[in-house]
Amino acid sequence: MMLFQASGLADKAVIITGGTRGIGRACVDLFSAEGADVTFFFRNSTEMANEIVASGRAAGQRITADQVDVRDRKACEAAVEQVAERCGRIDVLVNNSGVIRDNLLAMLEDDDLQTVLDTNVAGVFNVTRAVIPDMISRRAGKIINVSSVSAEKGGRGQTNYAASKGAINALTKALAVELAPRKITVNAVAPGVIETDMSREVVELAPEEVKSRILLRRLGTPIEVAHAIMFLASRYADYITGHVLHVDGGFKME
Amino acid sequence: MPDAITKDDISDVYPKVSETIAEALGRDVDEVTLTAPLMEELDAESIDFLDIVYRLERQFKVKIPRGKIVEDARGPLSEAEFEQNGFVTEAGFTRLQEHMNEVPAERFRTPFKVRDIPLLFTVETFCKLVIRAQKKSAKSPTG
Repeated sequence: MMLFQASGLADKAVIITGGTRGIGRACVDLFSAEGADVTFFFRNSTEMANEIVASGRAAGQRITADQVDVRDRKACEAAVEQVAERCGRIDVLVNNSGVIRDNLLAMLEDDDLQTVLDTNVAGVFNVTRAVIPDMISRRAGKIINVSSVSAEKGGRGQTNYAASKGAINALTKALAVELAPRKITVNAVAPGVIETDMSREVVELAPEEVKSRILLRRLGTPIEVAHAIMFLASRYADYITGHVLHVDGGFKME
Repeated sequence: MPDAITKDDISDVYPKVSETIAEALGRDVDEVTLTAPLMEELDAESIDFLDIVYRLERQFKVKIPRGKIVEDARGPLSEAEFEQNGFVTEAGFTRLQEHMNEVPAERFRTPFKVRDIPLLFTVETFCKLVIRAQKKSAKSPTG
């Protein structure tokens, strides 16, 4: 119980987008273990979502899953309203949903650009817009956006993804300015190369080269990123806003 | 005119509306008079309107789409008929004055920028917003 009191996350109403895999899944596990009332959004993986909910509830945790396409503004509004009604408020939003469609710019299909921007950028706008009226009216709330090391150190074939994450960093800072007078903090984490389904393809192409660019000489794990997200959502980060926290093992570009 | 808003309608919702606005703006409820312009007198900022509308939705259990005040103000006019290059057109201006008849005439000045419409909002504007939303939901209970 002492631990719960320490982070201040026990009983907090938390929304995590993209909660069935990778970093989002790690956040669902970590926040619910901390005693938070977690709702995660997912798009396709119904079976996985059900499993996460069932195993969490069996362990006495409060986890709810909702199938929401973050590209759909109205669906986001409806889903957020449901959470607000059920929990009475929304304390923390983790904007984690993201997709990659890596390819050299010359080879990119229009759809590869649009899909990435729709989910990674418009999706964040949609969910955040739905959440902030509640946070504003309570003069409290923490928003954490999952960016990427690519925003500042984009690699070959990542123009669309890097642009989307650069937008997230810019959005994070601008929104922090807007919401600071309402006592809402807005931060981002910028993961480096993390062991997830999403990065597997990229890493498998040249695993040693990837590691050689990381000072700690290993990939990160989803839970290591989730720890940083939890820190920004906790009371320990009450005085931090507009910050992009790099969780990349010391990633360098050459 | 079954949809006309009467003084009684306003009196019915005003106590709760003024309380809600006072809470959102951190003001004393006595300061939130029916005619008070929110931005000029009560120091409201545009983000406060989001807060006020959110609180009113919960207080009165109605749905108020974002941007509803300006959308209602435009009425039957198309966007192009209502505004040109960020300014309210003559037709738009007439419509605005009719629709926001709670605002004293001297506060309407031409040329009038669309983005300055929120400067006109008074406490009564929000009372009317609530009443319209109530009437709408009474007509279609399923929304």
